[in-house]
Amino acid sequence: MRIITHACPACGTVVSANELEDKRVIKCPGLSCQEVLRFEDLSEEAREHFLANRDRYQM
Amino acid sequence: MKGVLLSGGTGSRLRPITHTGPKQLVPVANKPVIEYAIEDLKAADITEIGVVLGNTGREEIQRLLGDGSKYGVDITYIVQGNPLGLAHAVGCAREFVGDSDFAVYLGDNMLRHGVSDLLESFQAGEYGAGIALQEVSNPEAFGVADVDDQGRVTHLVEKPDDPPSNLALIGMYVFTPAVFDVIDRLEPSWRGELEITDAIQMLLDEGHAIDSHVVTGWWKDTGKPEDILEANRLVLEGKDLVREGTVESGAQVEGQVEIAESAVVEDGAVVRGPVSIGENAAIKGGTYVGPYTSIGADSTLEEVHIENSVVIGESTITANGRIVDSLLGRGANVESADRLLPEGRRLVVGENSQLKL
Repeated sequence: MRIITHACPACGTVVSANELEDKRVIKCPGLSCQEVLRFEDLSEEAREHFLANRDRYQM
Repeated sequence: MKGVLLSGGTGSRLRPITHTGPKQLVPVANKPVIEYAIEDLKAADITEIGVVLGNTGREEIQRLLGDGSKYGVDITYIVQGNPLGLAHAVGCAREFVGDSDFAVYLGDNMLRHGVSDLLESFQAGEYGAGIALQEVSNPEAFGVADVDDQGRVTHLVEKPDDPPSNLALIGMYVFTPAVFDVIDRLEPSWRGELEITDAIQMLLDEGHAIDSHVVTGWWKDTGKPEDILEANRLVLEGKDLVREGTVESGAQVEGQVEIAESAVVEDGAVVRGPVSIGENAAIKGGTYVGPYTSIGADSTLEEVHIENSVVIGESTITANGRIVDSLLGRGANVESADRLLPEGRRLVVGENSQLKL
């Protein structure tokens, strides 16, 4: 199963695609980071792959 | 070599303690379990550590560990989100790991002798992965490895009815980056998770040699209250305990007892080690603290007899009775009902609490 992640450009915290897709727009989960992360930050190809296989990334 | 410290999971077996915090922060001998893992990795010269966070306790873990500088390591946080299995958690660390070999450590596990031997064994050969094993009496309850004379793994099987050996996989692994290509091709198991044993088996099936290292000292998965008590006992038994705090005249302190600088054992109290007493704790007159007990910071004990127990901290315990084999969450108070009418025990008990009265 392909695992897609995105690193916050401000603090380097790595966030999985399922976390980004779940909330679409989130404050970076890095404790003191104010960066806003979006599902759209992933490449179009990665987003399409994730959405095509969305059910596999859920519990 | 980098380190990946897995710190997700719901901690359901440790409720109600984990209703208010992650299981990796439950203290053993007055130190959060996850700090033992950080120290083990540092002792093995691993200073770049990726801490994988699940859905619970993210902020608490980050608040404790920070950027890692207080431990002499550099920490990168990796948010896994949904608990999709250990292999998924490892896969989330791909960007952090890059081209490096890496050790994987379960953040709620503890090893008597750390991970250095496992890493040395792995680095002595050309392996795709290395796994830590321990002899157990009930292998059917674990993932089990079959191993040849050279210590190479020949077969892995999860919770077998007919175990090929008594060597169980414990929560320590070493991988080359080759594991990420394998994880990419893994399918979720029947429980909907990407299993780390499936990833190792696929490495094996594709011709990678898998090293094994049999751990001889104790290993504890601290997932349940009784495991915390057992780990507390094991750590207190093997630790050099330092008395920095105050022992008043008239107090009896015997054996190995750690007393934090601001803690006090007052006149009339009896403490028999091994025991750990945290910062600002007060053990007042009439109290007996028996072996294998840790009293967390900012706790006050009076008139109680307590042994083989862990008091996490900020508790007031003044009941005139015996408390044994117990785990008390932060801020939990146990007071006397002796002079209250009507007679009887008075309880305010949270969900999933366990009491034996």
